[in-house]
Amino acid sequence: MNHKIELPKIDELNFPLIYKHLGNFIKSEVLKAGVNRVVLGLSGGIDSAASCFLAANALGKDNVTALIMPYESSSKSSMEDALKVVNTLGIKYYILDISKQINEYFKNETDEAEANENADSAGGDTALKLRKGNKMARERMSILYDYSYKLNSLVLGTSNKSELLLGYGTLYGDMASALNPIGDIYKTQIYQLAEHLGIPKTIINKPPSADLWEGQSDESELGFTYKTADDIMYLLIDKMYKPEVVISLGFEENIVNKIYERIKKSQYKRRMPLIAKVSERTINIDFRYLRDWA
Amino acid sequence: MKNKSNSRIKVCLAQTDPKTGDLKKNIESHIEIISSAKNKGAEIVIFPELSLTGYFLKDSVYDLGVDINSDEAAVFGPIYKISEELNVAVIAGFVEKDADFNFYNSTFCVYNGKLINVHRKVYLPTYGMFEELRYFKPGDGFGIFDLNGVKISVLTCEDAWHLSSSYIAVNKGAHIIIINTASPARGITAGLNKFNSTKMWEELLSVIAFYYKSYVIYVNRVGFEDGIGFSGGSCVINPSGNIESKMAYIETGEILAEVNLNLLNNERFKTPLLRDENLNLTFKELGSIIGNNKNK
Repeated sequence: MNHKIELPKIDELNFPLIYKHLGNFIKSEVLKAGVNRVVLGLSGGIDSAASCFLAANALGKDNVTALIMPYESSSKSSMEDALKVVNTLGIKYYILDISKQINEYFKNETDEAEANENADSAGGDTALKLRKGNKMARERMSILYDYSYKLNSLVLGTSNKSELLLGYGTLYGDMASALNPIGDIYKTQIYQLAEHLGIPKTIINKPPSADLWEGQSDESELGFTYKTADDIMYLLIDKMYKPEVVISLGFEENIVNKIYERIKKSQYKRRMPLIAKVSERTINIDFRYLRDWA
Repeated sequence: MKNKSNSRIKVCLAQTDPKTGDLKKNIESHIEIISSAKNKGAEIVIFPELSLTGYFLKDSVYDLGVDINSDEAAVFGPIYKISEELNVAVIAGFVEKDADFNFYNSTFCVYNGKLINVHRKVYLPTYGMFEELRYFKPGDGFGIFDLNGVKISVLTCEDAWHLSSSYIAVNKGAHIIIINTASPARGITAGLNKFNSTKMWEELLSVIAFYYKSYVIYVNRVGFEDGIGFSGGSCVINPSGNIESKMAYIETGEILAEVNLNLLNNERFKTPLLRDENLNLTFKELGSIIGNNKNK
């Protein structure tokens, strides 16, 4: 028997229970809000596909609506993969192209960008690229919350534990949701979950990308693979090992430190905004109730 | 309820999903379950920890406390009434408030319209996701009570993780140890079809039942509170350490189980661990441990 402490695998033995547990979570927390439907953004990637499969199972296919919100630079295969998900599940969907409003907002920025000293060798502007990516993520969020009202549905989250911990997401963008069934599941485990959920192979097999610009790759942006990051984060977070202990187990020092720094620096993204305490009883400080209070 | 001479007691384990903070709704659902359990022959109906209120109550502990030794106990009137009408014992969890306005994570036993026992949870987990000591005062002991000649002790969740609690209970004479819980499902392992937390519980329950030669009845809740799901898996473990009746892990439901005192008799005769337990030695050792700790 292998006693090495490593990220637990989702396999055929634990999958049925996890599947049922996540389904119960969605059903229970959605019904408590007084509705029975969810809406989610479907990118064509593995995370939103997993959330979508879980929701369709939990609530029934008629109670899940997917929004596919491409930008002009979004890859064609993303759209094809998103359509594969909705067709496999037989759920309702809308395609809402966000190019117009994003381009309108940024139309006066192009000249400034050219003059910007951040312009990289590829001819693009890193800062502008990031701003555009964030703007797209928030535009999608804004549409999702509009549809949430329109369809009397809760917004279902699609961020996995790896990106939440690394802060690899847009605050009030793709990180925003009412409930998230996969936020405690590492990216490596999402792949295993996806296999058991029966998510189309093309989605499982393509390299992870936020697809905010052409050719974007999570792993080259982060500077390490999800596999490495997840093994390290499992020890740092789940097992509460100190970075020096993780390093002593044979993980590369600079990667461990880089990951630990990322986790610390992005803590603000995982919390509600700070409120200055003035009164004797302050929201989320000493006014303490569950969200399920009502 | 039949007399002990009958040797077999029918017990209903009610694996519920309480509505958080809604005493009235939970009392109604308790009544429904009690009445259907009685129809199936149950003599005792057991509910999970804080079954009448929900578990992660935070500040609403303040709104839910009931002084069960005052007029406030009237809120549980329907439960007292049905226990009398149907001649059934009901064990359920609630937020107790005492006359000095302290709050406890408590479990009552009501039988024949009367309050028979209240167990105040002693070990209040305050680490990780738990914050019980922030709100509750710890109980001050592990008691036993008598239901028609059968001796019962109630341990609530974390109480059972301290093996001293079941040691005290059996040495006080408990035949049945009831462990009511609100145990969150957590931790997965490759090749394991249950949560890690469930695996730990099942090992513990089996140890208590086998080595303390008693019936262990584990009643855990299910459902979600703010994303935290409870793992269910309520079961009865006999004094041979074997699981006799077991419910699904994450589904509500009830199961009728039988406690067979003949088997307890048989096990305690064959393996007389309790008879041979040297309480004086334990007492002496504990005295010296406490003395030494004081000198540290």
